[in-house]
Formats: sequence, C-alpha cells, structure tokens
Amino acid sequence: MTALRLSRLWLWVLLACSVVWAAESPRQAPPAVHTVIIENMQYSPAQLRVHRGERIVWVNKDLFPHTITAAAHAFDSGSIAANSSWTYVAGKAGEYAYGCTFHPSMKGTIEVQ
Amino acid sequence: MKATVKVCALLASIFGATGAWAESAGPTDPQIAAIVVTANQVDIDAGKLAQSKGHAQQVKEFGKQMVTDHGGVNKAATELVTKLHVTPEPNSTSDSLKKGGDENLAKLKGLSGAAFDKAYIDHEVAYHEAVLSALDKTLIPSAQNAELKALLVKVRPAFEAHLQMAKQLQAELSKGT
Repeated sequence: MTALRLSRLWLWVLLACSVVWAAESPRQAPPAVHTVIIENMQYSPAQLRVHRGERIVWVNKDLFPHTITAAAHAFDSGSIAANSSWTYVAGKAGEYAYGCTFHPSMKGTIEVQ
Repeated sequence: MKATVKVCALLASIFGATGAWAESAGPTDPQIAAIVVTANQVDIDAGKLAQSKGHAQQVKEFGKQMVTDHGGVNKAATELVTKLHVTPEPNSTSDSLKKGGDENLAKLKGLSGAAFDKAYIDHEVAYHEAVLSALDKTLIPSAQNAELKALLVKVRPAFEAHLQMAKQLQAELSKGT
C-alpha cells in the first residue's frame, strides 16, 4: 500500500516536472534565424532588424556570385556563388549598411538591437 | 564620338532584326536560345580581352565581372535548353551578333591604353542598351516556354545593372581625358 502511494507520488512529481520543463523550454529555443534572398540584383528584404545573437542567412538565387560586405568591413562574406548561402551571427548592436562589391547598385541594411 | 555612333548603329541594325520579328511571328524558342547564348558569349569574349588589355584597373575589373556574370547566365541558359530538349537554332540575329562581336574584338585588339578602355566601354554601353531593348521588345514577348521566358525576365536586372556600371565608367573615363 505504501509502495503504491509512493509510486503515485512519483508520478505526480514527474508530471509536475514535465509541466515545468514544457513551460521553460520556449526560453531555451535557439535564436531566431532570418533569411535574406538575393535575387534580381536585390537583397530582399533590403532592411532587416535583428537582435544580437540571431542568425541571418543570405541565399543567393541569382545566376552569378554576390557579396555581403558591410561598410568598414564589419562583416564580409566574400564571394557567395550562385545557389549558395552565407550565414552571419549578429554581434555588436548598431546599424550596418552593406552592399555587393561586384555590383555597386545592390544595397541593404541590418539593424542589430 | 564618331566610333560610338558607329557602334550604336551596328548594334541597332543587329537587334533591328529582332524588332522586325516583333511585327511578324517573332523568333521561336530555339532561335531565342541561340540569340541569348551568342549575346552572352560575345560579351564574355570582349570581357576576357579587357581583363588582359585594359589600361585602367576599373576597366579590367569590369571586364572580369562581365566574364563572371554572363558566364553564369550562359550556364543557366545551357542547362535550361538541355532540360527542355531545345537545340539552339542559329538565325540571322545570332549570326549578326557573332559577326558584330568578332568585328569589335578585331578593332579592340588594334587599340591600347586609354583608347582601348574608351572603345571597350563605349561598346559595352551600346551593347547593353541594345540587349535590353531586344529583351523588352522581342525576346521576352516572343518566348513561348514559361521557363525560358522566366529566365529572360530573371537576367534583365543584371543587364540593367551592367549598363549603369558601364555608364558610370564611361563618365569617369571621360573625366580622365
């Protein structure tokens, strides 16, 4: 009888733990990932606001290489081949204007909060 | 200036053929494929020459960019026609483009220094203007296959960006002389 009560107690403890874990788990979710599509000689979206630690993935859907090069080289992808991507983890807060060194008409901005 | 007018007249006559098509049935998809591949190849060949013979660093870099970008377009065009089982069909426009490209190369090979840079960039401005006009008036409206049409629409912004880059260089070169 005591053993049965104890096992029931354990079940309740386990249930309570799983509820707490479920409530906690969203806080442990990985940082958000933002995607910027490079196509038709444009970055889309051209303006993006992110939080520190979040990832930004640029996907090159054009037929030739592009770069993601920030002013003063705060970040620089180098050449991103057609159908390839480049990921950057937002670091210091601030506003970063960037462009493609191959095609000067292409411009974008990342605001890191 | 005289040379620029000549280049424009030559390109207008080449792409004029596509304009005449617009009034009749227009080029077929296999003919469009041949025009696209030839137009890109002509600019790749000129770009390669500019990389080796260009005088100003920006001209060399522009030539390199043309080789890369038009090479990418031709790779995609070749993959698409292979997938669609379309065999590019040479026609009067693609033949004229090839002839015009060869004449341009022959002329450029006889030039050097600033004269080469000017002739190359002047031709690039006229060439990209002519291709954009042909894309808008003939090639895109005439393309029957949806994927071929989509490819033509997709490459248009690159030609537009190249035109702006060439015009910018043209202005810089004219300041330097």
